[in-house]
Amino acid sequence: MNRLLIPVVLLGLLVIASVVTDRPKPKADFTFANLSEVNTLDPQRMSWMHDLRVARLLYEGLVINDVLSDDFGIEPGVAESWSVSDDATTYTFNLRKDAKWSNGQPVTAEDFRYSWRRAMLPDLVSDYVKLFMLIEGAQAFYDWRALALDEFADRTFESSSDRAQAGEQLYQETIIKFDAMVKMIAYDEHTLVIKLDHPVPYFLDLCAFAVFSPVYEPLVSQYERPDPVTARLVRRPGWTKGGTLISNGPYELTGWRFKRDMRLEMNPHYWNRDQLAMRTIAIPSITDPNAAVLAYQTGALDWIADNTAAYRGDMVAAKLEFLEENHDKVRELEAQGLDQFSIDRALPADPRAHTHAVSSFGTYFYNFNCSPRLTDGRENPFADARVRRAFAMCLDKQSIADEIRRLGEPVASTLIPPGSIGGYVSPKGLKNISQAKNPEERQGILDEARALLAEANFPEDFVVTLSFNKDSGHDLIGQAIAKSWQKNLGIQTSLVQKELKIFKEDLKDHQFMTARAGWFGDYGDPTTFLDINHSEDGNNDRAYNNPAFDKLLRQAGLELDSEKRMSLLSEAERILVEEDLPLVPIFHYATIYMFDPHKVTGLSTHPRTKQNVFLVDVLDDDIGPNEPKPMHPGKGGTP
Amino acid sequence: MITMILRRLAFLPITLLLIYTITLALAWAVPGNPLENPDKRPKPEVIAQMNKQYNLDSFPKFYISYLDRATGVHYARDWMSGRLADDTARAAQAGFPPPARPVFDFGPSLQYDDLTVNEIIGSSLPVSMTLGIAAIFIAVVVGTTVGIIGATKPNSMADHASLVVAMVGISLPSFVIGTAALLVFSVWLGWFPVAQWGTVRSMVLPSVTLSLPFTAYIARLTRMGMIDVLGADFIRTARAKGASERSVLLKHALKNAFLPVLSFLGPATAMAMTGSFVIERVFTVPGIGQHFVNAVQNKDLSLIMGVVLVFATMLIVFNLAVDVLYRWIDPRIV
Repeated sequence: MNRLLIPVVLLGLLVIASVVTDRPKPKADFTFANLSEVNTLDPQRMSWMHDLRVARLLYEGLVINDVLSDDFGIEPGVAESWSVSDDATTYTFNLRKDAKWSNGQPVTAEDFRYSWRRAMLPDLVSDYVKLFMLIEGAQAFYDWRALALDEFADRTFESSSDRAQAGEQLYQETIIKFDAMVKMIAYDEHTLVIKLDHPVPYFLDLCAFAVFSPVYEPLVSQYERPDPVTARLVRRPGWTKGGTLISNGPYELTGWRFKRDMRLEMNPHYWNRDQLAMRTIAIPSITDPNAAVLAYQTGALDWIADNTAAYRGDMVAAKLEFLEENHDKVRELEAQGLDQFSIDRALPADPRAHTHAVSSFGTYFYNFNCSPRLTDGRENPFADARVRRAFAMCLDKQSIADEIRRLGEPVASTLIPPGSIGGYVSPKGLKNISQAKNPEERQGILDEARALLAEANFPEDFVVTLSFNKDSGHDLIGQAIAKSWQKNLGIQTSLVQKELKIFKEDLKDHQFMTARAGWFGDYGDPTTFLDINHSEDGNNDRAYNNPAFDKLLRQAGLELDSEKRMSLLSEAERILVEEDLPLVPIFHYATIYMFDPHKVTGLSTHPRTKQNVFLVDVLDDDIGPNEPKPMHPGKGGTP
Repeated sequence: MITMILRRLAFLPITLLLIYTITLALAWAVPGNPLENPDKRPKPEVIAQMNKQYNLDSFPKFYISYLDRATGVHYARDWMSGRLADDTARAAQAGFPPPARPVFDFGPSLQYDDLTVNEIIGSSLPVSMTLGIAAIFIAVVVGTTVGIIGATKPNSMADHASLVVAMVGISLPSFVIGTAALLVFSVWLGWFPVAQWGTVRSMVLPSVTLSLPFTAYIARLTRMGMIDVLGADFIRTARAKGASERSVLLKHALKNAFLPVLSFLGPATAMAMTGSFVIERVFTVPGIGQHFVNAVQNKDLSLIMGVVLVFATMLIVFNLAVDVLYRWIDPRIV
């Protein structure tokens, strides 16, 4: 019997021993759920929204967006001032002398050259490499390095040490090539001159994009050396660890325990540290949306950055109910021009008011495959724009937004969320049955759509397939769309549900007839949405090809006058959403936040949905001014 | 016994190589590219460069390079060529710690860029082991107790109650029990924290939830075994010679009734210790179970291979341990 007890006792001791060695840290000044584990803290490699959100806390670019202004204007970051040449291609940035890395070293123009050079190396595999190619010489440099690496792979050497040495030499040569080819010049430590390949009106907005943040060369270069066999730069992980990472933003990383939490502390060398209202920030890794809501309810979280719990529709409904109860007061505050969060703050405290649906810089839409033939060789009726228009007109968008999504998301007639980009006027969009004010008008739209189908000789007995991936309620939306088309156009439909990976592969290979899709913009310019419809773009899943549309994009690229350029782009979007309809916009996304408006301030309601978390002030604590930070009007003159 | 252990251990590398080959071939066939953010595809030329960088452009290249690093050959080569020493010297010169270079290197995760697979497993496996051990501990203590009570008074209220609890434990999925437990004990009663791994309190709910199906099974196994044994002649003898009821139950009966439980404990411990996707998600436990699911979904080949190889090794070792224990407890088994 005693023998049997031994393993049991041992097990018990192990449990005790492992628990004793693990202690929690004290509560941070601000704790938020990012909802996905950070993939990387290397800014040049980032592409996910949850990574970029943390990056803006750790790093500071040349400039930053004023996220609390109506126009998302540009404010000084590491650069305290800048000038643009008359031909709008040369930018001169004057870097502030008090910009410091978290180890106290100054941030210099050379740091930006090193970091951006990293992004331009094919072997660093940056997702956003395309954005860096706007700089003169960058594309040529990328191509040169890619070719050199391919040639190196085919070369033979006498010994492996010769090969390794040649790889090192190639890297040295690459640095020299960069200096010679790419027009990024550091005049002195604090003056950076960048020449663009062509005028890019949103270039300053890109400089505020976290991918353009600097990294600390003396640290990072330790982790990057050419591979002795392939000569490709091998990026060893390790420099982004808590306590190791050196960054130049408002906060520094003091701890990152994978899948547990991340802890940030105020960067003592940050030039603008007096403005910060939090000493420490904790980001626990909570990936389950239910757990995040429960944790919020126990008070363990101050903010959920993206509440995706299945029942969030009910939470939004409860919020609307709360607003309805305070109807008169809400109208009065709206009339004063207050933003959504300020209104909530002026109302009585109520747990229902902690849910916030914030309009986002993204759109949910359905793709039409525009290729002349389907993958099975049949002629594709959707190659005809009239067919696409007819289908788009009869899709009941309102019921999808109201009955399936239930997040108060606005129905979309355009691809770009209206009002999200300063100076851009959205086209009206194609008429849709959701907008009909009375049954007659609705009937008129239906008749017109059926006439279009008849005109295009839409084949009878043709079965239209709708493809979607199985999660996140896409199936319900697919069913609703199929029902609208069946009812309104009298056609047959078939629903095809796919696993996410297969779905995405099929989109890429144009293996679908109609398919669900969505797009989030990266920077504050219409091209971040419109470019995906360019005939040669890698994300043109629709195989859409209209030379007139491509031409407008090209013309806009060359146009120096900002107003004229915006109207060219507006015309391009008009073609897209009123005439050609390679896609039907359905609704503009909303992101659901959870936070107590009486406790937390500094978050933006701007539809670009980009938060500079370092602006947050917890109102009832002992740090910071503890004053509400409402949205303010833009200073005008968007860059 | 020693020869048995040695023979089984000698087969380990061969088994692992087979598992490696089959798993990699299957994982390779999963559609998609682990390096792409599927919502924002870079240009095809850029993707081609990405694939080359991570040897994803050809199966044999990946197969060999991964094996090269995971078996320590790559490390040995870099050590011999002096590159390791060179890296360390360079880092020291710049005043930074050198990049970590494990001997058996599973490579960087393709999904979590900033971590090596070694680090991911190194941080998540101990968590899962702790949780698994705690759960098995609870399951053994509670399960045997309930089983003994059930066996001493068959068809009593206590027996029926334990049967009901056991059925609930086996049939209700853990995400239901887990979420309900969180709601009641954390949100309403405030006894335990939510989503905060690391303290004794934070371990209670996940380990109890994880232990439920094991507890239920052990309780049934013990009850059946005990009822069987209690009718045997040697128990009557023990009672006749005046042994106390306590001694009869714990000393004479349980020892025999425990053998089926023991054989169940081998695979059960391996299973509990390699984590549970659901429990980890509901309770935000940073364990290894989630990587089995997520790595496949993300097609993170390095991570898939890492966790599969670790799991396979653990399974083989635990089964071996149980066999050894068996022989030790019951010398009749050869």
